[in-house]
Amino acid sequence: MEFFKCTIGGEIYGTGMTEIERGVAERKGIKAQEVQTSTNPVREKGFNFDDVRLMRGAWRNEPNPDACKEFFRCLAICHTVLPEGDESPEKIKYQAASPDEAALVLAAKHFGFFFYRRTPTMIYVRESHVERMGKIQDVSYEILNVLEFNSTRKRQSVVCRYPDGRLVLYCKGADTVIYERLVGGSDEIKKVTREHLEQFGSAGLRTLCLAYKDLSPDVYESWNEKFIQAKSSLRDREKKLDEVAELIEKDLILIGATAIEDKLQEGVPDCIETLSRAGIKIWVLTGDKMETAINIAYACNLLNNDMKQFTISSETDAIREVEERGDQVEIARFMKEEVKRQLRKCLDEAQQYFNTVSGPKLALIIDGKCLMYALDPSLRIMLLNLSLNCSSVVCCRVSPLQKAQVTSLVKKGARKITLSIGDGANDVSMIQAAHIGVGISGLEGMQAVMASDFAIAQFRFLKDLLLVHGRWSYIRLCKVVTYFFYKNLTFTLTQFWFTFNTGFSGQRFYDDWFQSLYNVIFTALPVIIVGLFDKDVSSSLSKRYPELYKEGIKNIFFKWRVVAIWAFFAVYQSLVFYYFVTDSSSTSQGSSGKMFGLWDVSTMAFTCVVVTVNLRLLMICNSITRWHYISVGGSILAWFVFIFLYSGIMTSYDRQENIFGVIYVLMSTFYFYVTLLLVPVAALLGDFLFLGVQRWFFPYDYQIVQEIHKDEADDNGRTGLLGTDNHLTPDEARSYALSQLPREISKHTGFAFDSPGYESFFASQLGIYAPQKAWDVARRASMRSKPKPKPTKMN
Amino acid sequence: MLVSIVFIPIGVVSLFASRDVVEIIDQYETECVPQNFRNDKVSFIQSNANKTCTRRLTVTKLMKKPIYVYYQLDNFYQNHRRYVKSRSDSQLKDNSGWDEVSSCKPEDMSNGQPIVPCGLIAWSLFNDTYNFSLNNQQLAVNKKGISWKSDRDRKFGRNVFPRNFQNGTLIGGKSLDPTVPLSKQEDLIVWMRTAALPTFRKLYGKIEWDLQPNEVIHVTLENNYNTYSFSGKKKLVLSTTSWLGGKNDFLGIAYLTVGGLCFFLALSFTVVYLVKPRRLGDPSYLSWNRNPGGH
Repeated sequence: MEFFKCTIGGEIYGTGMTEIERGVAERKGIKAQEVQTSTNPVREKGFNFDDVRLMRGAWRNEPNPDACKEFFRCLAICHTVLPEGDESPEKIKYQAASPDEAALVLAAKHFGFFFYRRTPTMIYVRESHVERMGKIQDVSYEILNVLEFNSTRKRQSVVCRYPDGRLVLYCKGADTVIYERLVGGSDEIKKVTREHLEQFGSAGLRTLCLAYKDLSPDVYESWNEKFIQAKSSLRDREKKLDEVAELIEKDLILIGATAIEDKLQEGVPDCIETLSRAGIKIWVLTGDKMETAINIAYACNLLNNDMKQFTISSETDAIREVEERGDQVEIARFMKEEVKRQLRKCLDEAQQYFNTVSGPKLALIIDGKCLMYALDPSLRIMLLNLSLNCSSVVCCRVSPLQKAQVTSLVKKGARKITLSIGDGANDVSMIQAAHIGVGISGLEGMQAVMASDFAIAQFRFLKDLLLVHGRWSYIRLCKVVTYFFYKNLTFTLTQFWFTFNTGFSGQRFYDDWFQSLYNVIFTALPVIIVGLFDKDVSSSLSKRYPELYKEGIKNIFFKWRVVAIWAFFAVYQSLVFYYFVTDSSSTSQGSSGKMFGLWDVSTMAFTCVVVTVNLRLLMICNSITRWHYISVGGSILAWFVFIFLYSGIMTSYDRQENIFGVIYVLMSTFYFYVTLLLVPVAALLGDFLFLGVQRWFFPYDYQIVQEIHKDEADDNGRTGLLGTDNHLTPDEARSYALSQLPREISKHTGFAFDSPGYESFFASQLGIYAPQKAWDVARRASMRSKPKPKPTKMN
Repeated sequence: MLVSIVFIPIGVVSLFASRDVVEIIDQYETECVPQNFRNDKVSFIQSNANKTCTRRLTVTKLMKKPIYVYYQLDNFYQNHRRYVKSRSDSQLKDNSGWDEVSSCKPEDMSNGQPIVPCGLIAWSLFNDTYNFSLNNQQLAVNKKGISWKSDRDRKFGRNVFPRNFQNGTLIGGKSLDPTVPLSKQEDLIVWMRTAALPTFRKLYGKIEWDLQPNEVIHVTLENNYNTYSFSGKKKLVLSTTSWLGGKNDFLGIAYLTVGGLCFFLALSFTVVYLVKPRRLGDPSYLSWNRNPGGH
């Protein structure tokens, strides 16, 4: 959580670019440089803001310094943060229920409004540059009332009294609720601010609107009485407090808005973007609440404003109404009906979009409560249909069990390959439910890693894991499997044809040792080398062309057709081996007029098989290194060494039909050499023709990519250098970044005031023990690290 | 293209080599059975009747010496699994192994004594004999050096003599002179290098004499070997050899075919390249560019 940007009085401040903006810019082909306008930027964890117009009192020269002052005061006063430690700007630590709040107070500190002490009734702020530049004074504000945050109010207010007696209500909250309560007039600022909020939202930032209101003592006193009454009521206190708050939180004056970057792990948006280009569908299953989840989804490029979003939420008025009645059975029934109705509506709509040619992409957002009913066997099909039509799916507030349920829904229902990735203990069930489980080893402990098939250190490495290593391993595996299939079929079929000529007596064509060592020595090493080293395109290229991954999803290299082609050529080759070698041995071989026997012929055939099969391997290699040459040459050589030794030695342990002297007989004839040249070429002619035609007329994607980059050396990790030639000056980059932001009216403004532990936090301050919910603990834990997009799942 | 350049000449050369070879084939298994036995050849061959038979072979072209004499059997499964196994190499190699006959069943023992050489292969030794005469002059058949040297020197011992051979009730084939060591019994050595296919030739001997065209050779043959019970054919083959071996067009034709095919392929790929060129590495061929938005 870092304070990143703000808008004050219709003016936008903050020069940074979020990861997602950078991603957009890069996709447009412009390498954006990190903008550094200040010579000495202030950096601290939680504060990543830089604009000379605001820092060090410079705000006094801005068009509306009063608004700035109110803005900073609101940041410094309207919160529930506790300072801790030494009361100096460098050493103080803020304890807050939510890191967002801490970031805001921290921002106020850097703007010169240093909140350093809190007593039950007072807030002490060390203000700089307020009356004139350079002047520092300690001001104490009396806190009269705190109207706390909760998820229905989505705002928080503080009524305070200045030392000079001025009564002000500061309020911060979601843009929707704040805008409802603004005083009429000054539409220009509202409009501009709303535009800014949309910019922030689509850049993946969390926004909060700040507003204030001056109170006259009379109004305040009469309201305060009601407030105290409500606060001391014994029944429905919460509800009454909310109602009272409504009375005073109105006719607010908008100051501006803050934008906090919920920093994802490095490279996450880019990674997700790449993965979805690779044809992988990404589902987010998170325990976070809906706003946060949507925000993260925006930040990850999973959602954008062009998408048609279907939201199935339990936070609707109708449901809340039923819930308030408190009858569990009734709630369940109503919820189920409601979910069913919504699902059907969304599905109809989705079908409609799906039938139109260029409808918008669809996205489904569903929360855990609804998911509980949607996973009901009767609705499951509908949910699956809907979600398979959506290009992204976000499930929020889901329990670990539901994560696993959703995973197996896709795994079993859609018969797709699923991969789960997560870092927390609550992702374990999901990781185990999916075909492939990936754990991120991080600060959240090792449970996920221990339950996973693969463990990576950061989310972005998933790109390498899937697109590079996953793809390579798929291709290698396909090659190795088909090649094994081929080489054994070829070999065995020659034996098969021979059977027809032995009166079906089952006589072996080859010597026992040939047969045993064929797979063990003579054709083993090269295929291992291919299985280890073969790569069609380099790692950087496979990341650059993520679409290549689709070949794997469509299973292009291991379809029946591929296997059938291999089998066909295996049959063809075995026929060539058998008939070329045997038929041509019907007359004498060599000028001495002597005839070959069975073992001479079979040894010759075996030599041809070994040579051909090994050469065939070279034809399937995409990259031929010297290891390939060594292994292929070595295998053929191994055969000759073996046969020289084997047929040169005669021991008493030999079987009756031994091949003593065979190779010497063979090699004394020209016939052997002539055949050895002819047969492999004739056998490989078919494959050669097929590969040539295939490559020329029906090239695979990877072959095109190979051709595009055939002149480049293997450029692992050097792509970064290639893209550096169109640098922009910082100003250009900034204006470009702004111009990239969507201008149209967008629905998403990125509100997320995220503090699930609010109530309990205050309770604990007052000495009341309130059990924290499990996800609060998890959130706190994750706050220390960079919050990540929670589990994503792809098929 | 390279392949065709290499292959076509080899094909031509081997074809010429094969064409140079002169071969005379005479199938005699029917003709050498007297007319009255034609319906029941098996009983003829098993009888004690005189089986001498005379054949006349006309030389078509000049046959330079050495001329190789082969017998060719057909439908004779020398590669049958049980036949192939039915021998004892240790027995053949050295005198000390004379009683190692366990692998030779059923031809292992006769009258309670081990047979040397034992087994079905040796038992079924081919026993037709050929005598050649040209203009009433005997043509000597040299039976030395008709087997592979490695067999002669290493597999068949100099101190192993036939013993108790063809003494049983069933006589399979030729008997062996018990005074001649196996390493000198080249007919046996040739026979025991079992053939790969059911149709096979085996070397009988060499005639060290040039034969002029249109000369007629008289062959007096003893038609002893029973191929009739499995209706196998017997052929007498006289053949010269080239550097490549006997008369066999197969290699030459195969070379020419492969070479020609490669030439044709090279040509057609060139034509394809000219007629329907595909720019190498054209991104528009990438599948995701060909149908945009297709999922």
